[in-house]
Parts: sequence; structure tokens; C-alpha cells
Amino acid sequence: MEPDSSGTFDTLLKRGELIESVAEMTPDYLRELKHTLIVSGDTELISAPAYYLAARKAPSVNAFMTGIAIIQDELAHAHIAYHILEELGESQEALIFRRDPKAFRYPYAFDVPLESWTELVVANAMYDQAGFCLLGDIHEQCSYGPWKRGLVKVMAEENFHLRNGRNWSKRISQAGGAAREELQRAVDWMFPLTVEWFGLPDNLKQHSAQLDYRLKGLTNDQLRQQWLSTVVPFMESIGINVPAHREDSHFVLDYPFPCTFDAEQKRWDFKDPCTWDDVLARWRARGPRNAEMVGLFQESFQRFQVRA
Amino acid sequence: MRVATADLEARVWSALAEIDDPEMPVNLVDLGLIYGLEVGEGTVQVRLTFTAMGCPASEMIVDDIRERLRREPGIDDVVIEVVWDPPWSSARLTPQGREALQAWGLAV
Repeated sequence: MEPDSSGTFDTLLKRGELIESVAEMTPDYLRELKHTLIVSGDTELISAPAYYLAARKAPSVNAFMTGIAIIQDELAHAHIAYHILEELGESQEALIFRRDPKAFRYPYAFDVPLESWTELVVANAMYDQAGFCLLGDIHEQCSYGPWKRGLVKVMAEENFHLRNGRNWSKRISQAGGAAREELQRAVDWMFPLTVEWFGLPDNLKQHSAQLDYRLKGLTNDQLRQQWLSTVVPFMESIGINVPAHREDSHFVLDYPFPCTFDAEQKRWDFKDPCTWDDVLARWRARGPRNAEMVGLFQESFQRFQVRA
Repeated sequence: MRVATADLEARVWSALAEIDDPEMPVNLVDLGLIYGLEVGEGTVQVRLTFTAMGCPASEMIVDDIRERLRREPGIDDVVIEVVWDPPWSSARLTPQGREALQAWGLAV
């Protein structure tokens, strides 16, 4: 069937109705939906090896089990996104196993190695919170029915991840001493990486096709504020410093945004502001663990291919 | 004394019914995880199971029970005994629990 004329399609969108099939979409909508799904699928997928490499350092059998359950959830969430992509005509195999590692579209933060249980739980408290804000918005606003419905369970499971992050962050902070210092160090490098996660500030991003098509409902800055409004008070409540504070109804960063980051040292230089072009160049080049993590999936897939 | 104990036991059941499973929108009582209670002088012993031996939320559930029951007047000590016999199955769900899980999309 030919795609509907964009006139009818626009009316459907404006009326707030859900799009249910490719036949109803314009080519532009389909392209933007696929792009948004790829970012989501890649993010969930790559969080699995990123978390796994840190979960191995779990401090108890029970903690390890929780870590592994979170990883299983992330894989399932990735599967939902890739499955929908397949229904939209993409090949899951090509997307996951035949793409160049640098072509993956997950946030740069995951390219910086998580190397301890502490860093894993901070990721659960901050990265999963970012995922929660982004997916929560899509779940509420998304105009594509199958994805909107698929996210109901995803949200419940992300809540479980947040809880693991918060429980453990609190526990580690209460332990004090070297454990608490390690927690503070993890927050020091991971907090600005997550602030960056939400992308260009609204004043530099004049137009968003994702918003036009109601694939999401909130702007980058609105989502960033939502994230800050949960993470900043939580970290303060457990006695951990974060470089941001509340001013009236919104949150303000205490450092130049953006600024330079040394991924090898996991260190921000708040005295060295940079431009968004610099940030985009760093993202495009990908970070230290990109090839290793994508390789974890791709290597075995190639090895077990049956040759005709 | 017996009346007081019966009252405390009823309050403990209600308190446990306020605690949701960390992974599903259903409380611990309706999920059928509580196998029994023994209420004594200032103490309560909870016999608890999990839906699976590898339950990733087991520590959170135990923490939640302790935290909630310690807030209950008349309870100073909470003892939790984890039991596996009989093993949990969906037959242990209360009608409300079954309804909650079905509404959430689980086939039970």
C-alpha cells in the first residue's frame, strides 16, 4: 500500500491519534521513528556489556544476582526496540552484528569503562535515571502505538534499576572512608557525562523532527532539568556533592557547559570550556570501550555463522 | 494479652500488604510470599518465600519488611525466616494479586 498523503497524516498527528502501521506513515516520519528506535535499542543493548564488565565485581552473591537481572532487563528492552525496527523493515542482524562499532548511536557515557561495583551502582542511579526520563517521555507522548505500548513494562523495570542504584549509593555513602571517597569520585566524572547525555541545549537546537512527529514530548533542556530535579536532591540527601544547585524552580550547573573531558583519566576540566562542536566531535570519535563492547556481540556471532 | 497479640498480628498483616514487590505492581501478601507470622512480646517472626530462588529483589524485599515493621508500634525486633517448602507457585496469589498481575499483562 502507498503511504498516506502527508496531509491526512498531519491531521492524524495533530488530533493526537496513534500511528499503527507503516502504511499510515510518511517517509520522513518513518525515517525519524527508525532513528529514534535505533538510539534507544543501541543504548539498552550496550548497557548490557558495560554493566556486565562492572557487575563481575559485585560484593555478594545476592548483589551479583541483582546486577545480572538488571542486565537481562536491558537486553530485553533492546530486543523490544530492535523487534519493532524489524517490523519497520530493518534487519536486526545487520543492525547489531554487521554495523561498524562507531556507527552505534548510544550515548558516549557508555564508552567510558565502568570498572567497579561502585561505578555500576552510580550508573544505575544516574544513567538509568536518564533512560527513565527519556523513555518515560516517549511512553507518555509517543505517536507510534506499538512502541508506546511496549514501554509499559520497560518503565517498571527501569524503576527496579534506579532502586538498586539508590540503595547501594546510600549504603556506600554511609560506609564512609575510602568507600565513600570512591563513590564521590564516580559521581564526579559520571554526573557531567549524564548531563551531556540529553544533547544540545534548546537555544542551539532550533528544530526537532522528533517533537514535530510527537515521537517525544519534551525538549532536551526540559528532560535535562527533569533529570537534575531527581538526581541533585538525591545525591545531596546522601551527602554526596554534585556540581549543580537549585535556583527557584530550575537547576543550574556550577561549571561551564560544555567543557573538556579526559576519558582515559575519567576527569573533567571545569577550567577548560569547549564548544558543542568539540563535544560532537568527541562523540563521533567514540570513547575507549566502544570497539571492545560491540566486539563482545559481533565476534561470537561471526564465529558461529553456518557457511553455505 | 491475647487480644493485644491478635491486634498486633492484624496490624502486621496490613503493614505487609502496604509493601509492593520491587518488580511488579502487587503487594507481598497478595503475591503470596508470606507463609506465616509469629507475634511475641515486641517481636515478630515473618516466614517468607520468594517467587524464585534467584529472585534479584530478595534483599530489597527483606529490607522493606524490616523497615516497615520496625515503624509499627509494639515491634522492636523483626526476624525473617526465608522458607522454600512448599515452593511458591502462582496458585499462592490471592484473587486481588491475580487481578493486579493480569492487569499488568502477566498471564497468571
